[in-house]
Amino acid sequence: MRFFQPFLFLAVVAILIQGCAFSRGTLGDDIKTEAIGEIKKGATTKAEVLALLGAPDRVLPLNGRDVYQYYRYDAKAGSLLLILINFSRLSVKGDDLFVMLNQNGIVEEVLSSKRTENLEFRFWPFGD
Amino acid sequence: MPRLNHRLGALLLLVLVGALTPGCNVVRITLNTPLTPDDVAFIVPGQTTLLEVVDRLGSPDSINNSETGIVSVHRFLDMKYARVNFGWLAKPWSPVDPDLIFSRTGFGTDAFQVFYDSNGTVVQHSFLRHVIDRPFHPYPF
Repeated sequence: MRFFQPFLFLAVVAILIQGCAFSRGTLGDDIKTEAIGEIKKGATTKAEVLALLGAPDRVLPLNGRDVYQYYRYDAKAGSLLLILINFSRLSVKGDDLFVMLNQNGIVEEVLSSKRTENLEFRFWPFGD
Repeated sequence: MPRLNHRLGALLLLVLVGALTPGCNVVRITLNTPLTPDDVAFIVPGQTTLLEVVDRLGSPDSINNSETGIVSVHRFLDMKYARVNFGWLAKPWSPVDPDLIFSRTGFGTDAFQVFYDSNGTVVQHSFLRHVIDRPFHPYPF
């Protein structure tokens, strides 16, 4: 019986993973952390921001100031397709960067977060 | 004899699970990290600043003008979908492909809005909807 155990284990694993699916989708380019680090409040100009990050995805007028918004979305989906029951989970997270420019075109504030760094493939839909 | 009972028990369990979960689908879609009142309890109007909010919750999904200054919005979604096809129970005996499907979707969309004054200090904050964390529930009635 001990001889057959590894084969039995392999058979069970093979049965369980035969209906697995992994998918991924992204929207937008990666917002480089190094580029964000080079932006200095009170010093970096609008032209330098554009040279570092390219054109923003959105320009928002905010109390007489311009805010450049850059975003990127990452989606990871995992499915476990068993014969009688299927489990699927799709997780979508976005990275957002806001660069606030004052009326002279100088960076006043930078707000950013990389939420996609912790994004994992999951198929178990229960829990957090 | 006890071994036979064990095998019979396992077989019965398998049949029971098969009968209870015929053609089941359980799907969950999350957008960003759903926020709870506990996650935002650190925000004190008149004290907490925009930078502190971003530091704890991440950057918002949008920033707009408001009468007091600016408003930031953190959007999130926790969608749960469950589906059971009871038609599977009749499949072995039916000449056609029968379906009797019960399904239910809970969209769980919400947003957390924070209003700031012109100095970037929180004036007020609130959830757009108060989404209740519902379990997976295929019964639609």
